[in-house]
Amino acid sequence: MENIIEVKNLRKAYGENVVLEDISFTVGRSEKVVLVGPSGGGKSTLLRCLNRLEDDYSGSVLFEGASVSGAAKEELRKLRQKMGVVFQQFNLFPNMSVLENIMFAPVKLKIDNQIDAKKHGLELLDQVGLAEKADAYPQSLSGGQQQRVAIARALAMRPEVMLFDEPTSALDPEMVGEVLSVMEKLAKEGMTMIIVTHEMSFARDVADKVMFMDKGRIADVGTSEYIFHESTNPRTKEFLAKVMA
Amino acid sequence: MMFNFLEKYYPLFLQGTAQTIIISLIGIAFGILLGFIVVMMRMSRLKVLSGIARVYIAIVRGTPAMIQVMLIYYTLAQFLDIPSIQFLGSTLDRVIPGSIALGINSGAYTAEIFRSGIISIPVGQTEAGISLGLSEQTTMKSIILPQAVRNILPALGNEFISLIKESSVLFYIGVQEVTAQALGIGGTLYNYVPPLIVAAVIYFILTFLLSQLMEFIEKKMGAKYAHIN
Ligand SMILES: Nc1ncnc2c1ncn2[C@@H]1O[C@H](COP(=O)(O)OP(=O)(O)O)[C@@H](O)[C@H]1O
Ligand SMILES: [Mg+2]
Repeated sequence: MENIIEVKNLRKAYGENVVLEDISFTVGRSEKVVLVGPSGGGKSTLLRCLNRLEDDYSGSVLFEGASVSGAAKEELRKLRQKMGVVFQQFNLFPNMSVLENIMFAPVKLKIDNQIDAKKHGLELLDQVGLAEKADAYPQSLSGGQQQRVAIARALAMRPEVMLFDEPTSALDPEMVGEVLSVMEKLAKEGMTMIIVTHEMSFARDVADKVMFMDKGRIADVGTSEYIFHESTNPRTKEFLAKVMA
Repeated sequence: MMFNFLEKYYPLFLQGTAQTIIISLIGIAFGILLGFIVVMMRMSRLKVLSGIARVYIAIVRGTPAMIQVMLIYYTLAQFLDIPSIQFLGSTLDRVIPGSIALGINSGAYTAEIFRSGIISIPVGQTEAGISLGLSEQTTMKSIILPQAVRNILPALGNEFISLIKESSVLFYIGVQEVTAQALGIGGTLYNYVPPLIVAAVIYFILTFLLSQLMEFIEKKMGAKYAHIN
């Protein structure tokens, strides 16, 4: 399997506080990697290091063989275009309609012209089940709808990989399903995905690889079968016992 | 009758009102432009730029507007060769440096208003922008600033209103705006109270109209973000 992402010896500290240490892993094309672990374990920070929303770390991050960690400004922007990010808080642009949210970056960055971007945007909205919301403003949508638009917006850049940081944690329980099912569909279509989530049954179903992160380290890693059923790591078992209860 | 003098002096009040409006408009325009430049400097990662911006803001906020106006006027008068053409009862070589001084004063306040607007936008907006591969400049210009401007409209309106009132300091450098006219007329009449009351009413009407206009603009801009609240 060809590696899209390679992380080597990543270490990140805020002053004295070391939040990531000794992080190395690879992500193959089409692979689904799920990060789980207790709050404060470094999952978000790790995800953010991958596209350098978080800077000033040591070690290296390669994306399709190119160094993200060492990239200059222009190059970094090119790399970021291929890594879609979905945030816990959606972060849709409130000054733009749903369709404008989706079209803005592809048009601005000349990935598509206006006409193609609109066509692609409407297709993506259809895929996330929101075709009729193209002209709505984000504030008028429910959380679940906003998050589906956010996924469509990231997909509009035709990314090679999608990073999700707790995409359902800010949602009312009844809206979690609609977002997870969009993500499941994306997974089936072969998208490479790195997902931070507390939705354990989703993790178990979708993950090719589960990384259990604790205190800034990858404390345990393996197939979902291994992590959820076979691992004898006491911290993994303790964490799972807590969240599955 | 207390206000009989108006029959004779109303043209001077009209002229003064026009002068006040003009110096305020120039001051506001210049202040916004300067405020925009200063906030970009203030929020720059380059220490020199943000340092200059901080010093400028601190000086303007920490000294009387009257002294600023005089200092700027006498300094500019030395370096700029503005012809002393008559203009609404004053001369351009007073009106222009005076308006610039108002703008330099207002720029510090508008810069701070802009800054509060920009930092009121959640950092997630910037992160979403740059994660899409947009440059920081594009993110600022197309995503952050439009939201920030909308948030600060009320504060900007207040700044315009206080600038109109403070434009009376140009009296000290001989610009014949409303306050100067009222004082001049008061001197002639040996009674300052009636003309000052007239001046106060004129300021009140100007600021009231401006606040109505700002409300209208806010509503209009709000309509674009349909469904908010
Ligand atoms: N900007 C920051 N400054 C200082 N410490 C931070 C910052 N962001 C995160 N941290 C710290 O890094 C650690 C890991 O946080 P995070 O990556 O958010 O964990 P998780 O996503 O697993 O909950 C926490 O201890 C947190 O307090
Ligand atoms: Mg987190």
